[in-house]
Formats: sequence, C-alpha cells, structure tokens
Amino acid sequence: MDENEDTPKDFIKLKSEKLSVDEVAELVVSPYCGAVSVFVGTTRNNFEGKKVIHLEYEAYTSMAETEIKKICRDVRQKWPSVKHIAVYHRLGVVPITEASVIIAVSSPHRAESLEAVTYCINTLKASVPIWKKEIYEDEYSWKENKECFWANSEK
Amino acid sequence: RLSFGRRRHREPAAERCPPGDGGSMRCQQVSVLYFARSAELAGLRCETLSLWEEIVKVHPRLAVIRDQVVFAVQQEYVLLGDQLLNLQPGDEVAIIPPISGG
Repeated sequence: MDENEDTPKDFIKLKSEKLSVDEVAELVVSPYCGAVSVFVGTTRNNFEGKKVIHLEYEAYTSMAETEIKKICRDVRQKWPSVKHIAVYHRLGVVPITEASVIIAVSSPHRAESLEAVTYCINTLKASVPIWKKEIYEDEYSWKENKECFWANSEK
Repeated sequence: RLSFGRRRHREPAAERCPPGDGGSMRCQQVSVLYFARSAELAGLRCETLSLWEEIVKVHPRLAVIRDQVVFAVQQEYVLLGDQLLNLQPGDEVAIIPPISGG
C-alpha cells in the first residue's frame, strides 16, 4: 500500500451551524491509522452559581484560521506520525449542551493522537482570537481563558 | 539630509518603556514621517506616536481596558518588547481583548 496516497490534511472551519461529532471524526479517518482521538467542548449551564442561558462566540476569523494552522503545524512537528487534524469551532449563539468546539486527530497508534488533541485544545485556548460571551438571566460576561497571558487575573 | 525609515537605533523622545512591564500597549510606538508640504505644516519631519494613545483619543471609553489588550498587525500578534511598529499603508491593526475560545 502506498501511504503517500493519503497525504496529511488539516481541516479547519469556523461556522455558525451546529457541529457534528460524526462529521468531524469522519474527516480524519485513514486506513493507515488505528486511532482517532476526539475532543468535544460543550456549553455548561452554570458559572459561579449563575444560570447560563446560552453562549455567544465571535472570532477574528482570518487570524483565528491562521493561528489554528500554526497549531496544526506545531502538532506535526511534535508528533510526526499524526495523519489528519480537524479543528471545528462554532460561532454565534451556542445553546447549552451543544458543542462549541470539536477537535479530531488520527494517528497509527493511540498515544500520539491523544496527546495531539490535548495540545490542540490547550493551545487554542491560549492563542486563537475567539471570544465567548456568557449570557445569564440578568447580565452577561465576556470570559477570559486562564491560558491567555494578557488577561487581567487580578479582579 | 532627511533621515527616514527605521528609527531602531534612536530612543523615542517620550519616556522609555520599563522592561518586563505589563503595559505593552503603552510601548507600541508608530513612527510617522512627514514630507514636503506636510512637513512644513506639521513643523517636523518625523515623530513617534503611541498607537494606543491615538486610538483612545478617538474612543476615550477604551482607556479602561488598556492593560488587558494586545495588538495584532496583519493578523500576527505584536509581542511584548516590540517597541517600534513598522506599519505599511493598508495594514490591518486589531485590538485583542483576553481570548476565550474553546
């Protein structure tokens, strides 16, 4: 079998429609890979005792895609056996329990794709210009990831 | 003789930025060059302006978040320590509050 026929691909998408775990996982499937690892980030219904009605996401789209491409490039340097990578992030209103982000990675054996998925979500939270607004009953809040080095951690 | 281009080897006349200071926004200097009639009208040929201060003049309400944002130019983060920005015509500058993707 010629593995060159299955050239490694990055699938990056920011969209407002509902995300499908099946669809994103399917993108990275490869006959040369025995492992597909998937992370799904879903919206929670509470924050510090307040009821969250829904989340709203916005992105600096062109730069977000560039930064995600850099993450994919870094993944391939750190885990050369990784085959395909998919990073899908939802924008706009995301209802409770629905997915806001899905990351899928395939590799011949499981260790690499498991580690790569962890790296992807952690680095995304530190570097990709996407913002989340939590809508509560009476107010809203722009969230700040603890991974973001320019967030004001002193409140 | 008019000197133009990079001013990397000359300190801006304004206060220096302390190293390691969290206030990187204060330090994003832009060099502005004036030619011909514009130099006569401005009374000088070059100066450095603080990009953030110029933006806040237009939108004073932004002042409160000064310590919590970073810049991006042409979709690349401007890192701490880059004190002089070389902006090209049409460059896209973005003000990036703390991110919360994922």
